[in-house]
Amino acid sequence: MAEQSIAGAGRVMTAEGDRSARARFVIALLCLALVLSVFLSLTSGASDASAVRVIRDWFTGSVPVDAALAARDQLIVYDIRMPRVLLGVLIGAALAVCGAVMQGLFRNPLADPGLIGVSAGSSLGAVAIIVLGTTWLAPVTLALGTLALPLAAFFGGLAVTLLLYAIATRQGRTSVATMLLAGVAISALAMALTGILIFMADDRQLRDLTFWQLGSLAGATWPKIGTVGPVIILALAAMPFLSRGLNALALGEATAGHLGIPVQRLKYTAIVGVSAAVGASVAVSGGIGFIGIVVPHVLRLAIGPDNRYLLPASALLGASLLLIADAVVRTIVAPAELPIGIVTAVAGAPSFLWILLRKRGVIDL
Amino acid sequence: MIEARNISVAIGGKRIVSHVDFTARPGEVSAIVGPNGSGKTTLLKALTGELAYTGTVTLNGRDLSAMKPVEAATLRAVLPQATALSFPFTVREIVRLGLIGGRSGVLPGEDARLPERALARVDLEGFAGRFYQELSGGEQQRVQLARVLCQVWSPVLEGRPRYLFLDEPVSSLDVKHQLIIMNIARDFARRGGGVVAILHDLNLTALYADWIFVLSRGQLAAAGAPQDVLNDELIEKVFDCRLKVGALPAGSVPFVLPQSAA
Repeated sequence: MAEQSIAGAGRVMTAEGDRSARARFVIALLCLALVLSVFLSLTSGASDASAVRVIRDWFTGSVPVDAALAARDQLIVYDIRMPRVLLGVLIGAALAVCGAVMQGLFRNPLADPGLIGVSAGSSLGAVAIIVLGTTWLAPVTLALGTLALPLAAFFGGLAVTLLLYAIATRQGRTSVATMLLAGVAISALAMALTGILIFMADDRQLRDLTFWQLGSLAGATWPKIGTVGPVIILALAAMPFLSRGLNALALGEATAGHLGIPVQRLKYTAIVGVSAAVGASVAVSGGIGFIGIVVPHVLRLAIGPDNRYLLPASALLGASLLLIADAVVRTIVAPAELPIGIVTAVAGAPSFLWILLRKRGVIDL
Repeated sequence: MIEARNISVAIGGKRIVSHVDFTARPGEVSAIVGPNGSGKTTLLKALTGELAYTGTVTLNGRDLSAMKPVEAATLRAVLPQATALSFPFTVREIVRLGLIGGRSGVLPGEDARLPERALARVDLEGFAGRFYQELSGGEQQRVQLARVLCQVWSPVLEGRPRYLFLDEPVSSLDVKHQLIIMNIARDFARRGGGVVAILHDLNLTALYADWIFVLSRGQLAAAGAPQDVLNDELIEKVFDCRLKVGALPAGSVPFVLPQSAA
């Protein structure tokens, strides 16, 4: 009863069924996990460069004994590993949070930007630049330079999302079922067009494409982070403002409206934010799958579906997992490396099936 | 006061509700009755702004269509027929959602305890930690009612009455909980709020409603106090059943009426 939930000395104890204290504890743990993952990621790789020494030198300002070695290590840590770690954090967080937001929006634990075609649209944009960048689209690539690829991916994702939104919205109401099914169709179309482009590609482009399509953080550079970082950070920063609305949406759109949530604005903000973050992610790292489904699902088991905690926790766990996966692909076949999408798919696809088997009926529309 | 004038609703080109006038006064329980498909839920959805309608709806004199969602949420709460969830929320987390947009009306510090108090009201004490999806249909319905109660906990806020819209609130409940829920509705009205409820049980309606609106084929067939509206003629005309109001069953057939609880 309520009286028991108030302990002496005014200290409020956790009420039964209230998981917010546990959620805060888990978030604290995940912060720690992210710090450890960043450290692991900075210190592991094909070269024996010592990140610890570089960081220590930087902190103490001491002059290294072997200047040439120190310079090499600095180069590896500052210009290769650091941008890669930062990119991994950004993309892991973006994919996991976008998955959680989409699932809240669709009221379905299996919804994912990959599922409704946002990723497919981004891929199409990016592949178009890779294959046609030197011929039909040469003016675009000349004008935009290195920005051409990320921008094409971003606009590809946004175009798909807006098209979906237009198809599924009638009289100001978005039908989730229509959007999901239209997403399947648009995904197929985008993939077919991508297929045509791949058919046109030459051998060198094919290798680029394959690697990029499987997903990889290998292309991380400071300029790329400068391009996509702000987009992802801005989109992620907007998401916490949606969490209360997404919670209400769990009861259905009508009930969320009765609870005082401006539902159409919520949906619009979520869709634009997700396509921006996903487009930016796909542009630099290709198709890294399943983070967006598995991370929020595991966290819902641990802390419940309250988006006020689920969204930040997803960001932290998504970032940590992607960093760990990246550390694995960089070292397991060193000096070569595996595309990270393979690792996330190998771990993610069975988890997806497991969710499906455990929760029959969740894809009822 | 909720006043609706000349309400018509069409869904997919088919007119479900035509030219209905409706008034719900604070301090009263207003019941909407009628056979299946007569447009009860559609009318309720128009009155809550969930469906597009022609005509006007005002809440306390203000036009509903001009209100922001959050303004409407402070004036009224809506209990739908059934609510399915796809995420594993606990009962307490669901009830707490009632505090999202509206204003419960209790002191800020008391909000934290409101879910437990609301659950106790609907006879679900000790259910706060259970998972909503694992409850029975009747229990889920009462959890939703507790959530709705949190949203408009005080029937009057800053001198203005607030309203409960209940779509078949007792449809999946046992008789004890039917009485508990109807008493909550009556109590809300006695303390100055207004209640609009769709009901199927004519005995409960007669017992608890201050005013009855009878819908038939999307139109208003009758409106008035229970003793004026519920008569043999209307029952036959609207429900297509030859039933006698107030007649005792013949012989030794047992009957149990909620009226006997009063």
